[in-house]
Amino acid sequence: MMYLIGENLNIMSVTYGKALKEKNAKPLQQLAIQQAEAGMDWIDLNIGPSGKIGEELMAWLVPVVHEVVDLPLALDTSNIKAIAAGLKAHKKCRPLINSIMVRPERMEALLPLAKEYDADFVALLWGPEGMPRDENERGALCSELVYKAESEFGIAPDRMYVDPIQTPVSVQQGQIMSCLEFMKMLQDIAPGCRSTIGLSNVSNGPPDHLRPILNQVMLIILKRHGLYSAIVDCFDKKLHDIAKDKHPELEAVVHKVEDGEAIDESKLSKEELDYVKTAKVILGHKLFSESWLEV
Amino acid sequence: MAFQPSKQVYSGQIREVTLGVGDKAVVIGGKAAYPFHSFEGSIPHPPKVAMEIWDKDPTEDWCAAAKEPFKDVLADPAAWAKKCVSEFGAEILVVQTKSADPNADNRPADQVAETVKKIVEAVDVPVVVWGVANHEKDTEVMRAVAEKCTGKRLALSPVEDGDYKQIGAACLGYQHIVVSSSPIDVNLAKQLNILLGNLGVNSKDIVIDPTTGGLGYGLEYSYSVMERIVQAALTQEDEKLQQPIIANVGNEVWKSKEANLSAEDAPQLGDPTQRAILMECITAVDLLLAGADVVTLRHPESVKRIKGFIQKMM
Repeated sequence: MMYLIGENLNIMSVTYGKALKEKNAKPLQQLAIQQAEAGMDWIDLNIGPSGKIGEELMAWLVPVVHEVVDLPLALDTSNIKAIAAGLKAHKKCRPLINSIMVRPERMEALLPLAKEYDADFVALLWGPEGMPRDENERGALCSELVYKAESEFGIAPDRMYVDPIQTPVSVQQGQIMSCLEFMKMLQDIAPGCRSTIGLSNVSNGPPDHLRPILNQVMLIILKRHGLYSAIVDCFDKKLHDIAKDKHPELEAVVHKVEDGEAIDESKLSKEELDYVKTAKVILGHKLFSESWLEV
Repeated sequence: MAFQPSKQVYSGQIREVTLGVGDKAVVIGGKAAYPFHSFEGSIPHPPKVAMEIWDKDPTEDWCAAAKEPFKDVLADPAAWAKKCVSEFGAEILVVQTKSADPNADNRPADQVAETVKKIVEAVDVPVVVWGVANHEKDTEVMRAVAEKCTGKRLALSPVEDGDYKQIGAACLGYQHIVVSSSPIDVNLAKQLNILLGNLGVNSKDIVIDPTTGGLGYGLEYSYSVMERIVQAALTQEDEKLQQPIIANVGNEVWKSKEANLSAEDAPQLGDPTQRAILMECITAVDLLLAGADVVTLRHPESVKRIKGFIQKMM
């Protein structure tokens, strides 16, 4: 069973981005209700960097959303003042800071806030030199952040949601393997820490109608590697059902691909066959192309 | 115990593609091992050296070093083509249809095609026609070329995501080869070949152009993507990528700043002719090692050196 963070309230969205800029509460509250009904465990509030207005925007948005739902909110911005304002305004359950990167200036500014508000936070494995190149660099970044949070700030491991960074299958398939290798090590490196990931990035690039199956199969694979939660499309019901253990048959067929077991494709349903093909491109058994389901 | 060298296991093979017709038709591809790894598997056809010519007088655009060997024929593409084949040993000829460029001369498609036809008739080696990577104009030019040279098995290039239906159909209709061109991206290279297959283009009629970056201008990216394509083709049985590869080297190298600086402009960079030739040769050698089956060169001295390199490596 995995926990889910709804990603759809996002400044990049045409509809909700406009509502955020105009401070039009209605569509944002409708979306929040939809996310709660869809079974999300958090609602992500992605306001982008938002510059000078970030602080005021987050301080407005948190109570607006909490007026209609009781879920904890993920404060998703690189704007430190906006995070602080969001934490202050967050009166229901425990907020989630999304995210703290493994960069000195980010850690120095945000870890004290996490401690002060007893907040959860996403420990994003993004270092001073950007994206880690492999599982070992992920491991090094993870240790650095977790150690600092625990030893200097006394933050408990279960407050930390380590994000090993999802890359698109269409451009960086090799990085998906590093991410999975890192997940195997996570509990040794950072015992008791939780984890999360921006799942939809796996399908960044391919056309919209092909994105759900990539997200779904990626989730199955990550789930098996112990991922605790994921930031996901709140409208993908199938994906939520997979997260909540309702499709063991699809999980089984993906696991077979991962384990290199022989699969009699003639005995599979169309859906299972599509899952097999998708697992093969995600795991690098086959090279990805946008027609991967047709070949 | 005696030393046992590790041996790569191959599960696939590059397809053979025949360029041109008649006695001087050239078969490229066919290898069942990494480039020059003939100790591991069969490499029936050594890589080929093509020479490029322009369909217009390049006097304004070329530096002295590039013009010198061709100074008597630069204004006459057919004579230039003949010279490349008979004097400099070009195994394949690449015609760059620069005169069609909408941002420069913008010659009408039928006139461009007429020049190409004269060149094709002047030589007996296979001809590759390389457009200006403008979808609308290349479509017009390639359609006209395809029709005027029916059945000659020319290779038409670049065929990209944005014009593959039009140019691919012309190749199908008039029996030519498609040069499937993608922007240094293995996944997109595969996807375009799938789309060409859906269109009905036979895999015996597809050559891959993964896009060439010259020395100092993205060579390492071209190298990596070529290497990746060959790996997928030979060791992952990726049948959509089991096509021979062409690299348009001369055109990329000779347009770089460093290939064109005179001795006065850059005394610290050495003799300008040798410098440009070396830049062309290093780019070509690297891409041959990465897996190119055809390298297109500009300077006769480069042709000589690269042919010698291939001979020694085989």
